[in-house]
Amino acid sequence: MIVVVVVFGPAKAGHHIWLLAQGGPFNVLSREGRRTLPTVDVQGHQMVGLDDLATLFQLQVREDAAARAITATYKTQTIVLTPEQSLVSSSGRLVSLPAPLTRRNNRWLVPVEFISRALAPIYDVPLDLRPASRLLVVGDLRVPRVTAQYDDTPASLRVTLDITPRATPTVTQEQGRLIVRFDADALDASLPQPPQQQFLTGLRVVDPTTIQMDLGQRFSTFRASPPTSSGAAAVITIELMGATDTTSAGAPNTPVAPIAPGAPGAPNPSAPVGALPVFGVGARPSIRTIVIDPGHGGDDNGVKGQGGALEKDVTLAVARRVKGAIEGRLGMRVLLTREEGNRVDGDSRAAIANNNKADLFISLHANGSPRATLRGALVYTLSLDRVGEDARRQSQADRAVLPLFGGGAREVSLIEWELAQAAHLDGSNAFAGIVDQRLRATAGLPSVELQRAPMRTLAGTNMPALLIEMGYLSNPDDEKLLTSSEFQNGIANALTEAIAAFRDHVEQGPQVPPAP
Amino acid sequence: MMKIKIPRGFGLYIGLAAVLVTGLVLLMVLGPRWLTTPPEQTAPGAVEAAEARKIRARLFYVNEQGTGLTGVEREVLYGEGTAEQARRIVEAQIAPAPETLVSAIPPDTKLRTVFFTKAGEIYVDLSADVQINHPGGTTNETLTVYSLVSALTSNLPAVTSVQILVEGKEVDTLAGHLDLRRPIEQDLKWVTN
Repeated sequence: MIVVVVVFGPAKAGHHIWLLAQGGPFNVLSREGRRTLPTVDVQGHQMVGLDDLATLFQLQVREDAAARAITATYKTQTIVLTPEQSLVSSSGRLVSLPAPLTRRNNRWLVPVEFISRALAPIYDVPLDLRPASRLLVVGDLRVPRVTAQYDDTPASLRVTLDITPRATPTVTQEQGRLIVRFDADALDASLPQPPQQQFLTGLRVVDPTTIQMDLGQRFSTFRASPPTSSGAAAVITIELMGATDTTSAGAPNTPVAPIAPGAPGAPNPSAPVGALPVFGVGARPSIRTIVIDPGHGGDDNGVKGQGGALEKDVTLAVARRVKGAIEGRLGMRVLLTREEGNRVDGDSRAAIANNNKADLFISLHANGSPRATLRGALVYTLSLDRVGEDARRQSQADRAVLPLFGGGAREVSLIEWELAQAAHLDGSNAFAGIVDQRLRATAGLPSVELQRAPMRTLAGTNMPALLIEMGYLSNPDDEKLLTSSEFQNGIANALTEAIAAFRDHVEQGPQVPPAP
Repeated sequence: MMKIKIPRGFGLYIGLAAVLVTGLVLLMVLGPRWLTTPPEQTAPGAVEAAEARKIRARLFYVNEQGTGLTGVEREVLYGEGTAEQARRIVEAQIAPAPETLVSAIPPDTKLRTVFFTKAGEIYVDLSADVQINHPGGTTNETLTVYSLVSALTSNLPAVTSVQILVEGKEVDTLAGHLDLRRPIEQDLKWVTN
């Protein structure tokens, strides 16, 4: 991960230099400038000093020896902390932190999550803590996350940049390089190196809002899609081509700038000359990429059957059969969230699907019940609590209209990353209905029930998603079924048919409005 | 030899004094019980009496089919205030179930503490046993979580949602399925009676 923030100025004191060596500081970005917030590792937790937070955020920190409490006051609101306690009171509301308030070297340390959980709710301006990129954005700065992915073919290299939240990129060609400038205050960029050097030798950040693509020997020309929307993100695809690949490229080397619908000079996709191809948007919606999530794994066995079968093994075995069946019969791209041996957390499972732009997410599990007689399958979609419903309503109210290449527009909704599934519940429930029907008809399951629950793995997925409990390992008969090849193949066939049916459903659904 | 002269009527005075002292002692011992004194000001005997006081509460156990929860009226120790009563209810809910019932709470689970917020959220901090001894599976996990949520929201009108903590910390899930990052609200579909 490259954080495009220029950090300047030495650490203030000697202990800060030591802290930097322990974990590296957070870069604090605000309208007033850039600063650093040192961290220290305490038993695996990234901690920050209350004194540093007091300086950064104008907090009055007081120690009340009689009450054995520390108070941090911002204007009229107070946060109360207790030594060695993980619960703090933020303006009367209890907040849980991943580690307790700790005293080290005469300083009070709190986990960095204190900023987002306890301080942000009482602070005047938004505080956006990004632990993965060690960035803290103060105020309404536009600092989109930019990630790059490569699609390598013998004739070209396609570079896809995901920009979340949306910011408009502009691509221009200079001597030996392409320059991508973003309409933002700074970038939070993750730029892996290209898979081969023939078209592109490097991708790097050259100033706070600019990414530079260093071109390779085979590069002759390029074509770039206009920025398009994908959920809360914008996506731009830049294809680097060799000399023989330009015959159908229309007008290569054309800089891409924001295009307003109906604006003079806005290109028409049907125009044979001068048109830029559109990647992804405007094409008929379909199902191309599936992510299969074998539940549990590593030291997390899941349910253990009386006969010794482990849920983690059953789910992986079925997932592999499902992958083989879909790839062989439908020709779709299928990714698994894990292979043998490794443990994957809930966020990572959703991230694999989101980052690969999956069109469907299926989490496979085997169930357990206190009643050993209970049998049957369950198909879960996500249920929303009040917060989730509010987020869903808000996302529908906050719909934004973005221009499409060639005219027309597309309406998108904005929603929190960790509640991404809320925007796809209609699709998820439609798919669950199809899966239910196919599990009965094709896999021959006598009992399948549709259910909704606040499933952790589904919450962050940005596509139709469901979780299937294929049977009860706590029931001896179901355990035998779940470990048999015949049953596992039946599940794989049923899901393959369900995906094909859902693809038809999606392809026959409402189309993107045609350009005027 | 000196002769002690006892005045006339002295025995009557002694008798009256004895009656007066006995009356005062009885007033001091029994008097507070007749008055509406707060519990924390009561004598030790009275505190024991308050602690022994019980209420009828609805606790939740696995139903016959194993697909949901069934509510059962049971006696639970009285607690002063919402947080204290919540503690008593959770202690009863996580205790081993009577022979005829099946509990969805993993064995050896202990209650560390309970916090109640003005927003109606209650924080139930359990020992790590709730995860370590959990048998796994979505159904098991759902029944574990909602037996606690149902017990608190059904019996305490002030409680709107329940946040489960383990060893004082937020957890993603108990066994890999249900999202515990936010307080869980009552969901009656898991209660079958």
